[in-house]
Amino acid sequence: MHSSPSVRHGNITRPEPGTGIKIHFKDAKGTLLKTIEANEGDDLLSIAHEHDIDLEGACEGSVACSTCHVILPPEYYDLLPEPDDDENDMLDMAFALTDTSRLGCQVKLTRELDGMTATLPSATRNMFVDGG
Amino acid sequence: MKLKVAIVGGGPAAFYVASRLLSRIPDAPGSPLLRVHLFDRLWAPHGLVRYGVAPDHPEVKNCTNKFDQVAADPRFRFFGNVNVGTRPPEGMEQTVQLPWSEIKRNYSHLVFATGCTMPALHSALAGSPWCLPALSFVHWYTQHPSAPPAPPLEAIPHVSLIGNGNVALDIARILLTSPAVLEKYDVPQPVLDVLARSAVQHVSIIARRGPLQAAFTAKELRELTNLPDAAMAPIPPALLAPPPGVTPTRQQSRILTLLAQGSRNPFGSTRKTWALEFFKSPTGLAPPAEGETLPELLLTHTALDEHGRAVPAGPAPPLRTALVVPALGFRAEPTTPFFDPALGHLRTAAGRVLGANGRPVKSVYAAGWAATGARGVLATTMMDAYGVADTVLADATAAEEGPIAMDADSGPHGRHSVLLNNAQKGVDVAEEFRMNPTPANDWAPELAGVIFDYEDWKRVDAEEVRLGLALGKERERMGWREADAFWRRPNPARPWASTQSTEAQFG
Repeated sequence: MHSSPSVRHGNITRPEPGTGIKIHFKDAKGTLLKTIEANEGDDLLSIAHEHDIDLEGACEGSVACSTCHVILPPEYYDLLPEPDDDENDMLDMAFALTDTSRLGCQVKLTRELDGMTATLPSATRNMFVDGG
Repeated sequence: MKLKVAIVGGGPAAFYVASRLLSRIPDAPGSPLLRVHLFDRLWAPHGLVRYGVAPDHPEVKNCTNKFDQVAADPRFRFFGNVNVGTRPPEGMEQTVQLPWSEIKRNYSHLVFATGCTMPALHSALAGSPWCLPALSFVHWYTQHPSAPPAPPLEAIPHVSLIGNGNVALDIARILLTSPAVLEKYDVPQPVLDVLARSAVQHVSIIARRGPLQAAFTAKELRELTNLPDAAMAPIPPALLAPPPGVTPTRQQSRILTLLAQGSRNPFGSTRKTWALEFFKSPTGLAPPAEGETLPELLLTHTALDEHGRAVPAGPAPPLRTALVVPALGFRAEPTTPFFDPALGHLRTAAGRVLGANGRPVKSVYAAGWAATGARGVLATTMMDAYGVADTVLADATAAEEGPIAMDADSGPHGRHSVLLNNAQKGVDVAEEFRMNPTPANDWAPELAGVIFDYEDWKRVDAEEVRLGLALGKERERMGWREADAFWRRPNPARPWASTQSTEAQFG
């Protein structure tokens, strides 16, 4: 009886090509992974999963982890409503946090976000290189 | 390349390593052979997700959907209730034993994902009848197979938690939340019964250092400050001012703000209360004085020295309390191979287990808390586990291609390649842990006894949810006895099982 929303594959309706909101996903090095099209109201985590982009969502969009952390360009970040306390609490624990970091599950797409790039943070390995 | 990987442990680190290995090597013709076998000494999988995550945090457990997907891969097998090693852990005599020799003979690679399963104890409190380690408390409310006794909460008006991590805050929250709120979650009925009789009115959370050093997260602190039936004692503002020259991090600032705001309920407006007692450390637990019923927790004030360590700074007033719960972190089990007593976990470098000579042991790895010590959240373990799986694959690929002269700085793996070349010299391999590069592909241990495979677990899982539904809650979980009996029920997949006799000591 998990009451939290599920974001497993297949919950998303893909728009007709050429009609959707374009989002570019890049890796930490800036390499383009995929450009996809999505509908208004879709969230970044769901569309990443729909398009097999390697963005984790361990808690499945219930704001209980930081695994869907993405970095947005400042000009798009500023178009979004401020993150709430719950999201900020999780961002506190995100790797490679920036001033324009968000949880992908909390970024709901609007027309004005068309053309936005979402960058996946680098998977830093520093924390275990020396084994503590 | 042949990867027949034994993962010892069945928690998140184990599942995330398995997930990465299985996704990086597709199950397709022409792919290298890959088998991943998980051995868990607990009958149920998922480690701390089942036996550590607080019941009122059900969202955190959503990661088990991913673990279910991992287990659906035909190259994956789960062996629950199997203890790898020589003797069963205390309180878990029901486990089926599998010697290390069988692992070494039948697997090409080994990943320790054995976690940190021992509580760190406080020398001034050990052995007192009024002291209960946080781990036992958590194992009680999660119905862990080690089955610690219930704390007698009906006779406990005051609890002292020692430690400033999320485990301390979890326990405080469970003690200060009404059972009417908890009963819809995955809290076993016998636990709810004890909580319903609880006499706890005040919880003191004692830490030897200050708010800036607290290990708890803002989320957990926020939950505590928002409890509907409890209030926090105000913290002296002087304690919340960062020392001169110190700029708090984002997380520190947010925690300081929360502490300064205080709880939603004003102190004094609720029957139940809690307090954060910073810069105090226990020095002993004195038995009840003549005519008293409760013992006294003896305390010293502390201060930070130039290295940021807490040092005694004069006696503090004792605290009359009924139960002291040290929540001071966890250690790996000292009997685990490659355990380093100085670290409290296995010694590793980039996921490779290091032998006594400090060099990597070929084909032996560790992930999660077994490798890093008990710290971080689920996401931390996930990132670590993915990194370890990548190292396993990189080493296997490099071994296939033969040693490559690679510059440490310019090579594709950087520091990784230096260690790899050391490992490949072969001279430093820990002889006692030599894995078999060419094991039989589909060998799996034939163990006599109650072994839970993943399908067995999914049947229990469905039954627990079904039982919970009838009670209007998330699930009603089974303990070992119920699970054992359930496993023995007639099962078309295992026609012989129901005829086996139950061993007397568990029957």
